[in-house]
Amino acid sequence: MMRALLAALLLLACASLPVRAQSAIQIPAPAWAAYMERFVEDSGRVVDGANGGISHSESQGYGMLLALLAGDRSNFERIWSFTRTELLIRDDGLAAWRWDPNSTPHVTDVNAASDGDLLIAYALARAGAAWNIPPYIESARKIARSIGQKLIVISGNRKILLPGVNGFSESDRPDGPVLNLSYWIFETFPVMARLAPEFDWAGVTNTGLELLGIAQLGPARLPPDWISAPPGKPVTLAEGFPPVFGYNSLRISLYLLRAGIDNTALQEPFRRNWLIENGGTPAIVDIPTGRVLTRLTEPGYRMLGAVLACALNATPIPEDLRRFEPTLYYPSTLYLLGWALVAERYPRCL
Amino acid sequence: MSLKRAILLVMLGGAVVPAIGQQIELPGRGTDAGNASRPKVDETALRYFASQGDTRRLEAEIARLRALYPDWTPPDDLFGPQTDVELQRMWKLYAEGKYGDVRSAISMRQASDPSWQPPPDLVARLTEAENRRRLINASDAEQWNTVLRLATDAPGMLTCMNIDILWRVAEAFAKTDQTARAVDAYTYVLNNCNDAGERLATVQKAMPLLTDDQIQTLLKLERKDDAGNPEFAALRDDLIRRRMGHAAENPEYSVPDSDIKRMEELARKETTPGDPLLLGWYLFRHDEASRALEWFKLALDRKGGPKSAEGYVLALNFLGRSLEAEPIAYEWRNAAPENNKAYLDVVIALLTADPPPVLDEIVLSRFSPVVMRDKYVPGAQALGWYAYNTGQIVTAQSWFETALNWDPNDEPSAYGLALTYWRLRDIARVNAMVQSWGPRSERIVALVDPAVRARLEARNAQTSLAGLRIDPLVAAAARLTPTPSLQPPPLGAPMAGNARAYQQGAATGFVPLPGASQYGQTQFQPVPQAGGVPSSALAYQQQAGGLPGTTIFPAGSGLPAQPSYSGQYAQAGDLDAVPTPRRRPTARSVARTGNTQPETTSSAASAAVARGWRLMDLDRPMEAVKAFDEGLARGTGRVSEDAAYGKSLAYLRMGMTNRAQAAALEAPQNPRRAVQLSGDLLAQRALAAYKDKRYVEALIALDERSRIAPEQQDLMVMRAWCYFKIRDLRSAERIFRALELQGNTEGRNGINAIDQETRKVRSG
Repeated sequence: MMRALLAALLLLACASLPVRAQSAIQIPAPAWAAYMERFVEDSGRVVDGANGGISHSESQGYGMLLALLAGDRSNFERIWSFTRTELLIRDDGLAAWRWDPNSTPHVTDVNAASDGDLLIAYALARAGAAWNIPPYIESARKIARSIGQKLIVISGNRKILLPGVNGFSESDRPDGPVLNLSYWIFETFPVMARLAPEFDWAGVTNTGLELLGIAQLGPARLPPDWISAPPGKPVTLAEGFPPVFGYNSLRISLYLLRAGIDNTALQEPFRRNWLIENGGTPAIVDIPTGRVLTRLTEPGYRMLGAVLACALNATPIPEDLRRFEPTLYYPSTLYLLGWALVAERYPRCL
Repeated sequence: MSLKRAILLVMLGGAVVPAIGQQIELPGRGTDAGNASRPKVDETALRYFASQGDTRRLEAEIARLRALYPDWTPPDDLFGPQTDVELQRMWKLYAEGKYGDVRSAISMRQASDPSWQPPPDLVARLTEAENRRRLINASDAEQWNTVLRLATDAPGMLTCMNIDILWRVAEAFAKTDQTARAVDAYTYVLNNCNDAGERLATVQKAMPLLTDDQIQTLLKLERKDDAGNPEFAALRDDLIRRRMGHAAENPEYSVPDSDIKRMEELARKETTPGDPLLLGWYLFRHDEASRALEWFKLALDRKGGPKSAEGYVLALNFLGRSLEAEPIAYEWRNAAPENNKAYLDVVIALLTADPPPVLDEIVLSRFSPVVMRDKYVPGAQALGWYAYNTGQIVTAQSWFETALNWDPNDEPSAYGLALTYWRLRDIARVNAMVQSWGPRSERIVALVDPAVRARLEARNAQTSLAGLRIDPLVAAAARLTPTPSLQPPPLGAPMAGNARAYQQGAATGFVPLPGASQYGQTQFQPVPQAGGVPSSALAYQQQAGGLPGTTIFPAGSGLPAQPSYSGQYAQAGDLDAVPTPRRRPTARSVARTGNTQPETTSSAASAAVARGWRLMDLDRPMEAVKAFDEGLARGTGRVSEDAAYGKSLAYLRMGMTNRAQAAALEAPQNPRRAVQLSGDLLAQRALAAYKDKRYVEALIALDERSRIAPEQQDLMVMRAWCYFKIRDLRSAERIFRALELQGNTEGRNGINAIDQETRKVRSG
């Protein structure tokens, strides 16, 4: 396995230079095959085993994006078939976010989640361009428009991205709008702007960057998973959510790098907490006290630190992280996204 | 099939037009397009089914292709070896419903062989299959617009083969306020689809979504089954249930008698509670409470649950049988919020009944905790009025205070409290209440302001004329007409003292009159009594001896001859008219209560009561009280009722009105007698107040009395003079004129007195 992976990496390193980034294969075939084997059912359902075997619009979107990055047209189609048939059923054209194999009907929460919709639309648009499949682009355009209509709203002088259609806005909550900065998948916004130029995606990007600069809360100065960002008032922890820098926010660093946003000030809290204070290992951090609650030692999470070190200091990816072994759906996904980034942008770290 | 599809396309309307162009399978497209060559028939599915030996699908496919291409004949080599193994695998996956796998396989082959195109038939079928799933998912998630969009984009799936999809599309139309189109969809099914079970199910599906008229339209498409019977016969009863259910919820609608008759038949025949319950609610909501009661009872007996209990309780309550309703209401009170409400309503009805019934202690003791738990203001208020109306003024005060604590802005509670202060002679607190509530409550102000009182009275009179059905609590409060000026309460001492004894009880729960608790074990039995009714004049007769010569008006008031009521009183029957209580066998009540009281005790009690009546005959009321007391202490049921009645009459004769009232409550009185007794007591109290120049109170007593009995001329005379004395000359004049018209000489006297009075004012 390892040999195969290394061989694939060598191939990749040679091949990636002349090929356009759009169609470059950034995830080695064996790694992708292992991911498919472990997390994707034949039906095209991407299974989040740590959450009771459910699927969600996010897992389906990640699955499609990874299939694209692995150059796997066939399984992209497989995952998209499930996504379209089972989740893309909302009247407003967005995806229902939660699908449970143990419930009938399977969709147990028809609310939308903006990161899932962004990932699906983004993967479709890129796949449609890479493989010249116009129906993908058409589907991507419909979703992008729906995101623009339903999830992008004005709050004070900000263009914000709501986490979902229901339950987060100023009118839905006294501390609204409640936002999740890890739903700002920055690399998707320029693509959305091409699909649905009538919406202010640049404004959304700017709000995300602005809030990331502001929401460095607590002694560790890390962005909480869920923030309350009422217009004209300070950003605080959102009521009713765990007051942590947790599984949501830890992907922000990767998202910034993947989008090519080289803003060292925004990466500083991640660098300090992961690379300086915790030896390269991300952690769940209690915002009010700054205390580390759980160190996240799984390879997929450590990969986030490694990618950051690579981007900032050209630190090579550690040997033990050069081999993909699927663990749980979420860290495995982050691992492959990180690997794809390094393979594309920072091949010197490999 | 194609014809049916065309029909449905029309049905789906304008939005469908672009979709028609995408139809792959519309017949004759090839020739229509001017293509002279024979269309290429896609036989891949056919070959796959043949290779699988799936004859059912094979035959269906042959039929389908023949319909599409009339010139086509199945190939001879159908069962020969297959050449395209990969494609065969795709059909296999498709047949297994593994659409993701098919998509993946097509995509993989295209990636490796860009020139390869999947058979259009495979793509069309795959798309349709996925759309079907997606439509079902959208329908399950109530995303109706998605359902309609998918149906419009892929109308190919709208066939009798996919009856479930047709139903879901029809439902989506209905749920998006397009019921006419929903009717079209169901009509399409009934016109075109032949499966008997599915046809029946179609009407069943339509029933909750369409109106009666629309359902009738669908029923016109009914066919005869093989035996020649109408195929929807089984639905007739459901339709009746539906009509009746709708009319039960919307009483402005009603159903034909034949429906009721049929439902009654069914309800009797079956053993389930559903139909009796439905009948109960329908009849109850259509003013047939006693018929409804039967059905609710049957539903309850068939374990019909909370709704049956609720209906049963409401019907009993409506029929004035609140006492019967109370235990059932209590038993079910926690089953559902409606049951709790029904329980509270029943007890409130009991507490605010006029006159107040004597309630079993348990009724009160279990109601109070519920009120306390829920901090239920109307409940506390009702307890307040009950206490007030049974003379337990301090207890009343405590309940009104509690209610006001829970809701400091509740005017009725404030009014009740102000009234209790007034009755307790607590002038300072009455004034304080007027101060704080003045701007918000006319009737509280009316306690101290005659002008406001007069205005309110006029309005009350109008309301009662209008015969409005009003909230029992409002009625309870309205019965107590406010008074123009604060007067020292006449009979306050015994009343307050009496009440104080129960104040302790109010903290833990409601402790009713001590006498009542004694009889708590015996059921309140409303036994209509035909004979032995005391004349209403009796009370005055007892008093008559003391009246002649009594100066009712203060000397020197300048009034003409004292108005006297003695004339009327004297007409009352003599002592022989005093009802001799009828002896009744007590066996029934003994059997019911399981009371095995020794016969000797019982007869001793009867003897004591008989002695009481003899002493009354001898006009020795004080001794009669003792005899009746003995009867009360030892007797039960009818005997104690008679004893209490006798005792209260004895007190009345001695002019001890309050005691008379208390005595009347010592044993449950039958309702009619209780009304008469209350009327007598009130007349007596009015007279006593009048003699003491407490005119306001006299008016209150008269008001209370007038609500249970018509006011005779003598009492009208008293009322008129009361108004005269409190300077409400307009009211006084109105009554005097009415009296004059009736030939009562006192009318003229009163009018003269008023003239004299007004002249005095003008000249002065």
